Amino acid sequence: MNISEGMKKLLYIDLNRKASSELAVDPRLEENFVGGKGYGARILYDLLPAGCDPLAPENLLMFLAGPLTATLAPATRGCVVTKSPLTGTFADSYFGGHFAQEIRYCGYGGIIIAGRAEQPSYIWIDDGTVEIRPADQIWGLDTFATVEKIGRIAGSESVKTACIGPAGENMVSYALINCEYNRHAGRAGTGAVMGSKNLKAVVLRGSETVSPANPEAFMAAVDRAYAELADSEDVKNFNIDGTPASIDFANAEQLLPAYNYFDGSFEGAAGLNSEAQRRQFWLRNVACAGCPIACGKVGLIRRGRRKGLISDVVEYETAAMMGSNLGLSDVREVAYLVKKCDALGLDGMSAGGVAGFAIEAFQKGLITAAETEGKALQFGDSESVDYLLDLIASRRGLGDLLARGVKEAARELGDGAADFAVHIKGLESPAWGPRSVPGMALALATADRGGCHQRAFPILYEVGGEWDGKMVERSALEGKGIIVAHLQNYLAALDTLVKCDFAQYGITGETYCQMLEAALGRPFDTTRLMALGERIWNQVRLFNLREGFTRADDSLPKRFSEEPLPEGPYQGEKISGADLDRLLDDYYTARGWDSAGRPAGETLARLGLDQLTTLVRAPDIE
Amino acid sequence: MNYLRGEFDLCTGCEACLLVCSNRAAGGYNPRLARLKVFRENENLINRPLVCTQCENPFCMHSCPVSAISRAEKTGVVLIDKEKCISCGSCIKACPDQMIRWDKTGKADKCDLCAGNPLCVQYCVPGALKLVKKREVPGK
Repeated sequence: MNISEGMKKLLYIDLNRKASSELAVDPRLEENFVGGKGYGARILYDLLPAGCDPLAPENLLMFLAGPLTATLAPATRGCVVTKSPLTGTFADSYFGGHFAQEIRYCGYGGIIIAGRAEQPSYIWIDDGTVEIRPADQIWGLDTFATVEKIGRIAGSESVKTACIGPAGENMVSYALINCEYNRHAGRAGTGAVMGSKNLKAVVLRGSETVSPANPEAFMAAVDRAYAELADSEDVKNFNIDGTPASIDFANAEQLLPAYNYFDGSFEGAAGLNSEAQRRQFWLRNVACAGCPIACGKVGLIRRGRRKGLISDVVEYETAAMMGSNLGLSDVREVAYLVKKCDALGLDGMSAGGVAGFAIEAFQKGLITAAETEGKALQFGDSESVDYLLDLIASRRGLGDLLARGVKEAARELGDGAADFAVHIKGLESPAWGPRSVPGMALALATADRGGCHQRAFPILYEVGGEWDGKMVERSALEGKGIIVAHLQNYLAALDTLVKCDFAQYGITGETYCQMLEAALGRPFDTTRLMALGERIWNQVRLFNLREGFTRADDSLPKRFSEEPLPEGPYQGEKISGADLDRLLDDYYTARGWDSAGRPAGETLARLGLDQLTTLVRAPDIE
Repeated sequence: MNYLRGEFDLCTGCEACLLVCSNRAAGGYNPRLARLKVFRENENLINRPLVCTQCENPFCMHSCPVSAISRAEKTGVVLIDKEKCISCGSCIKACPDQMIRWDKTGKADKCDLCAGNPLCVQYCVPGALKLVKKREVPGK
């Protein structure tokens, strides 16, 4: 099937009515929003009632591909889009693996799931056949067992599965969706939304082909992308060392969270980095569909009490959030805990943030041994974390409080707990402590789904990069707004394709445009690409504003704004409230927003967002 | 003659081989329609490529009731003559590695080594697929 034609066909499944229907895409949606994040931003805005409870049947759970997904274009992915139960914002969570490709091989550009099944169910899509089946045989299983069991039920291991674990079933606010293996829509609680729909899994098998409009030009552009990846030093590093190479970098630059973000470097960092992981368990490189980078590194733990455990690379984010942030320096223990999160269906990043918060609350006497069955919660103790993960996934005792994330848990605990609850808009911060990098602080404060490092990563410019031909001064406040806005727009545009974060270090914007142009058979250049990204960013902002978010929510946790880095080369650095105000003013101006953070009329007009009345309507389903 | 070899220790499971192969074999991308396979084993600890090795003693060739499968004299590649193929499925049943598939016209279809320069090898960045030399095949 022609790529453009496929992207115009969405599958809409209503679990209330146990029925499905094809949703023909308005050509203006495809033209103006392209796919992936763009589709999700507009569909959520058009179809979701304002103020909708994220766990109500009315919320939508979308699995979206892009026009380059499922082709030879190197390193493409898919995304889950929904309204987050953790933040209440728009949420887009990206996953690698092979699941998004299979959506396209089933003949669709995406799958939209509405309603709530009466009983635990799973969705089985076999080319054009869509069935909602009872999930009795898989409800309650962890994600690994679920994938295995589904393979057996389907009589084929080649089916592609997205599923939740017990944490998703119990609607833990930061439950993930597993897209086998070690690939997840991890952040912002997409798994809780799936659980709220009584939906255990979505299983796909498709035999449709995906064809670019102009095959020759497409191959030429793909070859260019391959060459650019091969020439990139950054990509080479991802191939050799994976993301944990960033442990050493972040540790040296005091960006690494340690002890619930108390510090920016960690004495045990050498136990978590790529070298340590290679020594302890790596065997070979693993890649997502069509990816020559292969940042995954799977292996078997060779020694110690976790001997024999199969683990993929302990990614930088989880190595930091479940490692240094919790005072853990043995990567074998961290690998065990991260795999446990994967099996239970918990986002390892948020879970690390929550565990760090709980341990500090215990130290400060806000959580007592009476609530932990006598167990002392301590940094540097993997048993404490192991115990907490079980509590959280099952929502047993204290786990019910912690299952709501640090923001809600701090509100409930009171007594100053909010002072060390490290989140932005409710999303536990990623592993990039921003106290010495104001641009990154701004990126985190303004990220659309809450504290996220993937919407813009200005650190690379702040630690010695150039912008517009000039060296960027790390500690400067001025000039960071335009950098952050530009990066957000660029990445939002690439998130429609759907890109991989690491591939874009090698593949240039021009080459992405050439691949897109050949795929869709219509002109595309970097000017259009940047306008697309800006349109999407504003569209999402309109959604979040409608949901009640304001400038006051573009904020930083107290730990970053009031507690300076305690030691090291950047000792004393923090981003004060006044600093953030200056950064925000600068950023809103760069965006063409008013001082309250609302897109101005002329900005919306420039992006064509004032003209686009409802583009998407739910199909009538009998 | 040359034949394909797949190495599990180098394979990353990216399936670029399946994508390029399916595009050539089926006129569009879909790994399921490729003329080789990549298996996942043991929680993805292993990706195992499985390729047609142009067997020295090809069961597919011997099983064909209408002699539609033959070995090319110069290259040693085992080829299907689609004109002669009667779509009986004997070769598909005969190959234990399931290296023969139905094409969209309903004829048997298998790896032809892309006329000597296999796309799967060209796009295998980790070098897990190789074109290697095989000892001379005695005439049969």
